[in-house]
Amino acid sequence: MNLRSDDRQWGAVARFFHWTMALGILGNGVWGLLMTEMKPSMSKINVYALHKSFGLTLLGLLLLRLLWRTVDRRPPDEPAPRWQQRAAHLVHGVLYVLIAAIPLSGWWYNSLHGFPLQWFKLFNLPALAGKNIDASQFAHAVHEYLFWLLMLVLVAHVGAALKHHVFDRDNVLRRMLPFGRSRRDSTTPGES
Amino acid sequence: MKRLAMLLCLLTLPAAAIAADYTVQPAASKLAFSGSFQGAGFDGSFSQWTAAISYDPAHLATSKFDVDVVLASAKTGDSDRDSALPGADFFDVAKYPQAHFVTTAFHRDGAQIIADGKLTLRGVIRPVSLRVTFAPHGSGATLDVSGIVKRLDFGVGGGDYADTSVIGNDVKITAHLQLAAK
Repeated sequence: MNLRSDDRQWGAVARFFHWTMALGILGNGVWGLLMTEMKPSMSKINVYALHKSFGLTLLGLLLLRLLWRTVDRRPPDEPAPRWQQRAAHLVHGVLYVLIAAIPLSGWWYNSLHGFPLQWFKLFNLPALAGKNIDASQFAHAVHEYLFWLLMLVLVAHVGAALKHHVFDRDNVLRRMLPFGRSRRDSTTPGES
Repeated sequence: MKRLAMLLCLLTLPAAAIAADYTVQPAASKLAFSGSFQGAGFDGSFSQWTAAISYDPAHLATSKFDVDVVLASAKTGDSDRDSALPGADFFDVAKYPQAHFVTTAFHRDGAQIIADGKLTLRGVIRPVSLRVTFAPHGSGATLDVSGIVKRLDFGVGGGDYADTSVIGNDVKITAHLQLAAK
């Protein structure tokens, strides 16, 4: 598999970003939902610190991913009705916005609450806003509901990928799977 | 004339032998501390404390600071932290409601005067030294002191909270006292 994407499939870098971020976002999301149940303790402080560090890491990965996207080519859309192609791109756009907005809203909440923000105990990041406890409640709700919104959009994203894979039997999912090969490669091995 | 001489003696002898006593003006005075949490500093202060101050830089041998602090009055501006501080893991105010600092001696380090004393906190007595800056004006004075206390020496935030990569061990104590002559 090439690092760069080509006409048939996504490159290794694009797949790496897609799947590490997918796992990271789901994991950190579940982590974040569970950690609020903890009683005040040093463990809770450390669990929150890790949630923030993972979230910042995902934000950093998103920036790198967008940078890579500007220099990498993209495989053309698989044949599908125009409205489906448009819907797919719209969903991708919304996913990108949410993937940026969720960590940023967490950072915003953290700032409004007056908590320090440290990346794996290595360095601190500045506050995005001054302390405002009342507003922090709102920011916390935004942070959480954006994640649920992401889950909702994810149903469309995953559902469409599975529909292409199972019913259309095309390469939409295969060309993004971690070790997947596109069907054209496997069905016509002697072509090239 | 004899009377005047006696009066002079009465006035000057005590002043020459012992340091002057002051009363603290609480509204203009502050007892503060600053620590670190997750790589960021935080500031707090005690709202309830009393201090008996006898001080004269020329008569350090008879100078004395004696301070009582109500630990439950600590506030740092963060509700999570402020609800944790009085608890058993930190100050344990149920068992040890007050901290006490009393000087044992003063010494000079160059031009700087250092107050050496004993701090009783959370049932532990340890030596603590404070840098002293004293500025007399009129009949009163301002007194500024600062020093470092290692929280773990006193078991403040022991157990799980002893991790100094999250909560720093050094806590800086600063006090600004507005003094009026007694």
